[in-house]
Amino acid sequence: MSKAALSLELPWVEKYRPHLLKDIVGNEDTIERLKHIAKDGNMPHMIISGLPGIGKTTSIHCLAHELLGDSYSQAVLELNASDDRGIDVVRNQIKHFAQKKCHLPTGKHKIIILDEADSMTAGAQQALRRTMEIYSNTTRFAFACNQSNKIIEPLQSRCAILRYTKLSDEQVLKRLLEITKAEDVKYTNDGLEALIFTAEGDMRQAINNLQSTVAGHSLVNGDNVFKIVDSPHPLIVKKMILAPTLDDSLLILRKELWDKGYSAVDIVTTSFRVTKTLYELKEPQRLDMIKEIGITHMRILEGVGTYLQLAAMMAKLSTHKLSTN
Amino acid sequence: MVSITDFFVKGNAKGAARKKKNDDGGDTKKTTIDIIDLDDSDLDIAEVKSPVKRESIVIDTPPSVKKQIDKVIKKEEKPPSKVPVKNKSSNASVTAADVLATIPSVDLSEVHIKENVKFDFRAAAISGDSEVSTQGDFPEGQDNCLLGLTVVFTGVLPTMERGAAENIARRYGAKVTKSISGKTSFVVLGDEAGPKKVEKIRQLKVKAINEDGFRKLIAGMPADGGDGDAAEKARLKKQQEEARVLKEANEMAEEAEEKELKIKQARLSGDFVKREDLIREQDKLWTVKYAPTNTNQICGNKSSVNKLKNWLINWEASKASNFKSPGRDGSGIFRAAMLYGPPGIGKTTAAHLIAKDLGYDILEQNASDVRSKSLLNAGVKNALDNMSVVGYFKNKDDVNDVNGKKFVIVMDEVDGMSGGDRGGVGILAQFCRKTSTPLILICNERNQPKMRPFDRVCLDVQFRRPDANSLKARLMTIAVREKFKLDPNVIDKLVQATRGDIRQIINLLSTISKTSKNIDHTNISEISKSWEKNIALKPFDIVHQMLSGRIYSDLGANTFTLNDKIALYFDDFDFTPLMVQENYLSTRPSVLKPNESHLEAVAQAADAISLGDLVERNIRSSEQLWGLLPLHAVLSSVLPSSKVAGQFAGRVNFTGWLGQNSKRNKYYRLLQELQYHTRLSTSSNKISLRLEYMSTFKHRLLDPILKDGSDGIPSVISLMDDYYLTKEDWDYIMEFMVGPESTDLLLKKIPSTVKSGFTRKYNSTTHPVAIYRAGVSTTGSTTTVKPDFEDVVDADDSVPATDDTEDGKDDDLKKDKLIKQKKAPVKRKASSTATKKGAAKKKKA
Ligand SMILES: Nc1ncnc2c1ncn2[C@@H]1O[C@H](COP(=O)(O)OP(=O)(O)OP(=O)(O)O)[C@@H](O)[C@H]1O
Ligand SMILES: Nc1ncnc2c1ncn2[C@@H]1O[C@H](COP(=O)(O)OP(=O)(O)OP(=O)(O)O)[C@@H](O)[C@H]1O
Ligand SMILES: [Mg+2]
Ligand SMILES: [Mg+2]
Repeated sequence: MSKAALSLELPWVEKYRPHLLKDIVGNEDTIERLKHIAKDGNMPHMIISGLPGIGKTTSIHCLAHELLGDSYSQAVLELNASDDRGIDVVRNQIKHFAQKKCHLPTGKHKIIILDEADSMTAGAQQALRRTMEIYSNTTRFAFACNQSNKIIEPLQSRCAILRYTKLSDEQVLKRLLEITKAEDVKYTNDGLEALIFTAEGDMRQAINNLQSTVAGHSLVNGDNVFKIVDSPHPLIVKKMILAPTLDDSLLILRKELWDKGYSAVDIVTTSFRVTKTLYELKEPQRLDMIKEIGITHMRILEGVGTYLQLAAMMAKLSTHKLSTN
Repeated sequence: MVSITDFFVKGNAKGAARKKKNDDGGDTKKTTIDIIDLDDSDLDIAEVKSPVKRESIVIDTPPSVKKQIDKVIKKEEKPPSKVPVKNKSSNASVTAADVLATIPSVDLSEVHIKENVKFDFRAAAISGDSEVSTQGDFPEGQDNCLLGLTVVFTGVLPTMERGAAENIARRYGAKVTKSISGKTSFVVLGDEAGPKKVEKIRQLKVKAINEDGFRKLIAGMPADGGDGDAAEKARLKKQQEEARVLKEANEMAEEAEEKELKIKQARLSGDFVKREDLIREQDKLWTVKYAPTNTNQICGNKSSVNKLKNWLINWEASKASNFKSPGRDGSGIFRAAMLYGPPGIGKTTAAHLIAKDLGYDILEQNASDVRSKSLLNAGVKNALDNMSVVGYFKNKDDVNDVNGKKFVIVMDEVDGMSGGDRGGVGILAQFCRKTSTPLILICNERNQPKMRPFDRVCLDVQFRRPDANSLKARLMTIAVREKFKLDPNVIDKLVQATRGDIRQIINLLSTISKTSKNIDHTNISEISKSWEKNIALKPFDIVHQMLSGRIYSDLGANTFTLNDKIALYFDDFDFTPLMVQENYLSTRPSVLKPNESHLEAVAQAADAISLGDLVERNIRSSEQLWGLLPLHAVLSSVLPSSKVAGQFAGRVNFTGWLGQNSKRNKYYRLLQELQYHTRLSTSSNKISLRLEYMSTFKHRLLDPILKDGSDGIPSVISLMDDYYLTKEDWDYIMEFMVGPESTDLLLKKIPSTVKSGFTRKYNSTTHPVAIYRAGVSTTGSTTTVKPDFEDVVDADDSVPATDDTEDGKDDDLKKDKLIKQKKAPVKRKASSTATKKGAAKKKKA
């Protein structure tokens, strides 16, 4: 079997999912703590929260594997959003697992992993409270979630809260380079740059995009990456919004967005996102501009996704830019 | 496609400093990565800020304090009051007053008071006074140099956030308070100070200095607050405190060792050891390992603990008197007690320890048990009865046996009753009235409508978040026992970050101490930041923050970015828009542009809110355009707030929309009913019935009674019969009237004999009834009218609040309601749901 065919079979995010804590990049302090826990045992209940694709699930798996080794299969219960985790499951399956006897080396505990815990209902979370306390001598809980505020306060209170920060561009790059090397991928620098830019610190997306680009175009360069990603380039949108004159803006809109085939909705949503963080402008100005973009967005959703609407939006935006400057 | 490298080059120019090259020759020739990030400027800001912050932390490691502690550990016996007060400063007799005197006071007449909204502060700042010297780093002061001083910060300081300034003051040992009183040593005054505060300063003749003066003060004060009585006293108090903490810490440590020893001995001698005890201490969670073992060890909330204890002690006696005599503290009339308070402060612990202390066995049910009505009935009720029987015999057999099996039922996490636990709360409340075994309920949020049925049936025992002082000893013990260093001065920070959650602090310590054996000023900020509880804010807090002017100033917009503001909306995106709409008129804007009037700002805000409404219509339409939610966030909340944000003039009001909306629904429903009834004699639709008939109805139904008393009744009844109106309809019609037509006062004028005569007369005869088939809610027709309708309405009312999938907006819902009610015409059923509805009522409050 050729290498390309093989790589298509297994998604690279899975193929290159780290198996040891030391292979996880970024969040050094937290990972360091996890390593200590893996070594000493006595894992506290914990919540790992952070943006998607930065290694939360991976860390918990690594930790559980390093803690439990061969007993993993019998001593770990993992439930994620695709499992039913209603209040009944918590009261039955989870509680039973917590009560279950399990012969583990001293200092080791059964682990219940609840991935994407922010999607659990408040009722189900409530039902975990006492279970976490009563069986804490034999069972520990690990939660992963994107928004820790979706976890009810009593559960937060029972856990060590570890917050993962967005991966830096260097960290994503490091991992991408490892993978390109292992897969023998041909790439250019601007290709990697584009991957990192579009991923916005999401390792999973970076790896996925890398794989898709390789599958589609074999060479990873900037153009190919943006073809795969298929959304207006935020930098172009930014350039359009900040262009010194309305004519310039419209030229960019026409030539670099509209004629390239991006839909009106894609263009306004990207404009919204870009404007939100357009720190070149003062906040009140940005807010007024967002208002205009929003109005256009609604018109487009009502079915008027024409160039004229977008041009009108640009005209409004440029008056806002002028008015306060 | 645009060449990306172009952008990179452009970006490079801008972010050249941060450009990273990977020059190590390998297979990558050159990688310039981090420049394209749109968030760049954000990062830059962060970088610029951080050194300043760090600086202020470093200033403050107090080695002297640590030394003192070490000393006290060694000479533990020594009564703390005798610890000599050493004066480390060389200039021996400097008092705070001396230093303060050297700093010029602010001329109060020149202070810009907030009311002066039209005043252009920017202009003032340019022409103004002390801009120059305020830039730059904060001076480094002596350790604890503000000890014994009480400081108030008010207004906007020119170069620093007020919070940061307060932290600095605290770090140097000052006490920071919010309001000015006789005890205040000095006030640091900024722009836009509240007029009341300025007045107070004048009145009390408190020294007022500006930010500059504050810097000078810190630079000039000797260590430990110099001389002077206040400083002396504060020093003494501090030392006493520390000594006490350490003493307690050691005591507790000893106790724990003793226990370990006992278990060891027991195991050696082959005695029975509880299974719990067999687990090695180091394999337990710290929260278990360091759980209080007797009630004295529970930190804080002493009076609540005692209240519960007394109640339980007297329980049997109260029972003997059939819960009729309130006793000294009034707890004697309750068969059940309800502990409530935030998580992790010892509620469960207290309940268990007290029960154990008093020789009770515990039967616990918690949120992990199904507690539906039927199961509770089957399980607990049997338990209650059985237990009482057992207890009865036991007590008879050996009255003196303290260990006789007495039971307490602990219902933990009552607010965790949900979904599957239908009717559980109601039945539990019933148990509270009847139980023959002490019943302790525990919950977090006592004020939830769900908890309403427990009002007045159980003894309320509130647990509050403990303050730092009550935790110090306990946390220091843990530190001593776990062999890491914990600076007592940082405990405040921990308490702040976790909002007083002891369990969280213990968890935090257990995790942090894995890698860092030293927790003090150098790392506390970082720690407490990442452990800050991230809980969804309540609507009140959200709108308070959303409408505060601070976050819209140029400085504030950098630290609290637009994304943060939008995130605020997402904390509760049902209520935030409503709350903003309710409160946007009650601010005193601090964000007005030059030459802009308050009214203009309000107009712009209102415009944005109305646009937001349009967006919302789209979002909740059949198309479900949830992608518009961020836009809604901006239009409905952030944008209007940005126009009028400022100081709140009054208090934050809860949204009136819910009440108004449910009122509207109620009247709509009543109107429909009236229309069905009168349809045989009228030919109007609902609207014209309201507009054209109603006021005439009112006159003809009310005036005769008002004028002629009982004699007017027959004519009224005959009119009612003509239009197929029931007696209830008569009441509704009166309710419909508003403004000058309002009937409230008129109805009060009718003597009660006439009123009851009217009812009697009406009931004594038969009346024509319009029979209709279309669905209508008629719950009210058999029971007393008023309360019942309130219930129906309020049940509606609660829907938007409880229902996460929010289509609380109405018409469908109303239909549902009607359908449901049609299905349940039986009176009994209606009353059984009454408790639930009653519960819903509170939501409004
Ligand atoms: N820090 C990291 N180091 C190395 N690989 C990573 C890292 N983060 C993510 N990955 C890669 O991305 C994939 C997805 O990571 P993971 O499942 O841990 O994300 P997550 O944080 O749980 O995201 P989500 O919030 O969506 O569940 C992994 O299989 C791995 O290949
Ligand atoms: N007042 C306290 N004094 C000492 N330790 C405490 C105190 N409160 C909590 N703790 C620690 O936290 C742990 C949990 O406390 P507890 O179970 O009583 O919390 P709770 O108030 O019932 O919280 P929840 O509402 O989440 O159930 C205890 O085992 C103990 O280690
Ligand atoms: Mg995951
Ligand atoms: Mg509890």
